Amino acid sequence: MKSMPVRVRTRPSKSKKHSVQAIVAALFALLVIAASVYTFLYLKHDPTLTDLRGRLLGASMLHPLGTDHLGRDVLTRLLLGGGQTLGYSLLALGAALVIGIPFGLIAGYKRGWVDKLFMRIADGFLAFPDTIVAIVLSGLLGAGISNLVLAIVIVKWVSYARLVRSTVLSESQKDYIRIARTNGLSDARIMIKHLLPHIAGHVLVLASLDLGKIILLISSLSYIGLGAQPPTPEWGAMLNDSRPYFQSRPELMVYPGLAIVSVVLLANMLGDYLRDRFDVKKEVQP
Amino acid sequence: MILSIEELSIAGRDRTIVDNVSLAVREGEFMALVGQSGSGKSLLSQSIGQLLPPNLHASGQVVFEGSNLLERTPKEMRALRGSRISYIFQDYQGAFTPFRSIGGHFDEYQKVHGEKSASVRKTKAAAALESVGLDAALLRRYPFQLSGGQLQRAAIATSLLLSPRLLIADEATTALDSVSGHRVLELLVAKQKETGCAILFITHDWRHVRRYANRLSVMKEGRIVESGGKHRILDHPQHEYTRQLIDAAPVLSRSLKSGLEEETP
Repeated sequence: MKSMPVRVRTRPSKSKKHSVQAIVAALFALLVIAASVYTFLYLKHDPTLTDLRGRLLGASMLHPLGTDHLGRDVLTRLLLGGGQTLGYSLLALGAALVIGIPFGLIAGYKRGWVDKLFMRIADGFLAFPDTIVAIVLSGLLGAGISNLVLAIVIVKWVSYARLVRSTVLSESQKDYIRIARTNGLSDARIMIKHLLPHIAGHVLVLASLDLGKIILLISSLSYIGLGAQPPTPEWGAMLNDSRPYFQSRPELMVYPGLAIVSVVLLANMLGDYLRDRFDVKKEVQP
Repeated sequence: MILSIEELSIAGRDRTIVDNVSLAVREGEFMALVGQSGSGKSLLSQSIGQLLPPNLHASGQVVFEGSNLLERTPKEMRALRGSRISYIFQDYQGAFTPFRSIGGHFDEYQKVHGEKSASVRKTKAAAALESVGLDAALLRRYPFQLSGGQLQRAAIATSLLLSPRLLIADEATTALDSVSGHRVLELLVAKQKETGCAILFITHDWRHVRRYANRLSVMKEGRIVESGGKHRILDHPQHEYTRQLIDAAPVLSRSLKSGLEEETP
């Protein structure tokens, strides 16, 4: 009897849907970045130039999305704001990674008292909710986007340290790490060359899921006036600026709102895709 | 005497796991350390290379080539491990870092032990693989592309790469079926003849001891109960525990326990 060929699925069936999502997300990300860069390079309008005679204008050839309450071009501000929000989010994320990864690597690899000390420090940081830290920091250091980034880093690095630590903790018990040690490799070398590549996938997934949250956090704190200060174009701040004109010109709030929603959605889609791609637990063993 | 362990104790916070053990390995011999799981033989082997977990502490002396290893700095130990003393473990499947090529491992070990020329490293790596009967083309492959047997040989090749004086095989054949186990040991013994390195072979399997060891020590609950030449211990065990262990191991041949033929009158 001829045996039937057995089809083995190595990834969950959802992955096709998610890979379409990922392509859409990637295209959209490229579009946002390209538009920001283009606007920056070929500024038609000064994003901070006020023109009180031309305030709250409707859409026209000169101002495709109209002007705001100070007569500034909305499209220019929206596109530049995208660069601001994304740029600062990535900066905050990058700094959190730069602190969190080595911290978790050392704690998980060294174990013993080093691990205990490092993790108690991390737990201490974990005790602060993100908005509270942001508000306290801007109270202490003054409101501004750089202090907001600092607050986000203070809150976010802990989750990376913990993720990296737990992965390293289980991975460094495996024989290949033991053998690397018995062959005389230094701890630093083992951590960087033999452990770091292993955790990169996990970190990437968490980071892309976090990106959406960070964008939201920066926008919402800018909205209440703790982030970007006027006249810097930033989506959350733009939302706040157009609040008094909600009745007469609601689209002034819709534009930045839509922008925030789509970028956060994009970051989440990317995160979903990466999780499918890297999460070993979800993979079906052939 | 290449390695001499004197009154070594290994203790955790509240209990002593290895208690006042003395053991010697002579130049170029095959020394077996036998004992049940949990008797402390693995910890003993780890303490030689200063590889104990951070919560355990070793006291006493581990004299290797005339100096006490327990007093060496971590940096000196790193230089020693992999070049003068090397280890083989039971899990061959996990012996290589999954995302690095086999050749990458050979290259790295030579690099950290001071071989600066890339072409020399490459030649040596190829020679090491060929000396255990593998094709040098495997250097470009990744661990998951090799079969179990190939991984096993490649792992042994890495241990022998820098011609160590002492090879510590910690349960190196435990995970293998008896045919593969013997094949690994044949390879080790052949390499030992070539290079003259001493082997400290840690096991609970009498079959291997009977066939390959020169001398052996029996360990129980953190102490060495009996040491001596293979024939003396296997044929005339002094200690009750050794006698029990030997009786528990199945023997199929009609010869003496150590493999010597009994003289028929």
